[in-house]
Amino acid sequence: MVKCEREEQVTEMMSLALDGLLEEAGRQRLQQHLDACPTCRAEWEAMQEVSALLERSALVGPPLGFALRVERKLEAGQKKRRRMFGGAAVVTSSLSMAGLTIGAVCLLILGIVAWQWLGDLPSVQLGIEAATQVASGLGLMGKGASLFLGDLLLRYGALLLFALGAGVAVLVALWTWLFVRRPHKAPGNGYV
Amino acid sequence: MDQERAWIEQALQGDREAFGNLVRAYERPVYNLTYRMLGNPAEAEDAAQETFLRAYSKLATYQPGRKFVNWVLSIASHHCIDRLRRKGRAPQLSLDGPSPPEWIMSNAPRPDQVVSKNEEREEVRQVLERLPADYRAAIVLRYWYGLSYREIAATMDTTESAIKSRLHRARRMMAEHLQAA
Repeated sequence: MVKCEREEQVTEMMSLALDGLLEEAGRQRLQQHLDACPTCRAEWEAMQEVSALLERSALVGPPLGFALRVERKLEAGQKKRRRMFGGAAVVTSSLSMAGLTIGAVCLLILGIVAWQWLGDLPSVQLGIEAATQVASGLGLMGKGASLFLGDLLLRYGALLLFALGAGVAVLVALWTWLFVRRPHKAPGNGYV
Repeated sequence: MDQERAWIEQALQGDREAFGNLVRAYERPVYNLTYRMLGNPAEAEDAAQETFLRAYSKLATYQPGRKFVNWVLSIASHHCIDRLRRKGRAPQLSLDGPSPPEWIMSNAPRPDQVVSKNEEREEVRQVLERLPADYRAAIVLRYWYGLSYREIAATMDTTESAIKSRLHRARRMMAEHLQAA
């Protein structure tokens, strides 16, 4: 069949015509072209045929029990996530505790070994003295701070308690809201 | 519509029964789309289930101004396009497997009607399977759901002119297939 030079443009007009979106002038131009061009006329007829075939084709529904299968999958997915989260929490907390214990034991051993080897050196003695003085200074600062806080509590105790209570209440409300709103918390509706 | 909104609100609170009602309300349009896109009942069911699971997990992002069914169809069409691209193959209809559920659900048609409908369904499948995934989605949304160009564009996250072009090219490809046959 002879190739039409305006095929692309005409096919676009055909598509719009099938959707009822081609204005009157466009429809007339399309008809004039189709009357004169057998290639495009054949394509137009094929397009109309396909369009009619698709329009005749009904919606296909899913097999029986589809919704129930979706609900079961949803439930299974949620259980799996909960298990994974619980498992991850146990593993990470166990690892953290083990890591902290091992770290503390290592530090203790290192300290003892270092004291055995380097304890007599004058620079180490000087360092220990300096550390003792720093610790004593920190102790004094702590004492000053506790006196200051005690004074503050005596003067503004009620106000501070109120602010603290308000902060705790906001936190409790926030956590409650998060707990209620969390997406996968099912209110026990009996679904399997 | 109010009932639908109530179900959405309840599902957002974690009520799976309310979400189950949404599934029952829209299982047919969603399954039809996945079936038309993938051409295989087993794959279509799997994709339709996945669509609803994704809808449940993304429910908080649903904007009430939009039609819920179009939102779910959008998830389904994207999922099917991804599946087809991942597989990089044309869908196959299993002739040995169980019959598509259209016949299970319908009121026992006569054998001649079954043959005629089967032939027509096979013809539809053959016509659609020659189209690239995104052209196919545009055609399915246009013919089975009667969506406007704007609605198809919103469903597929693209522009109206892109949809116009996809529909026109898809129709041309389908017409060429029919002429060749």
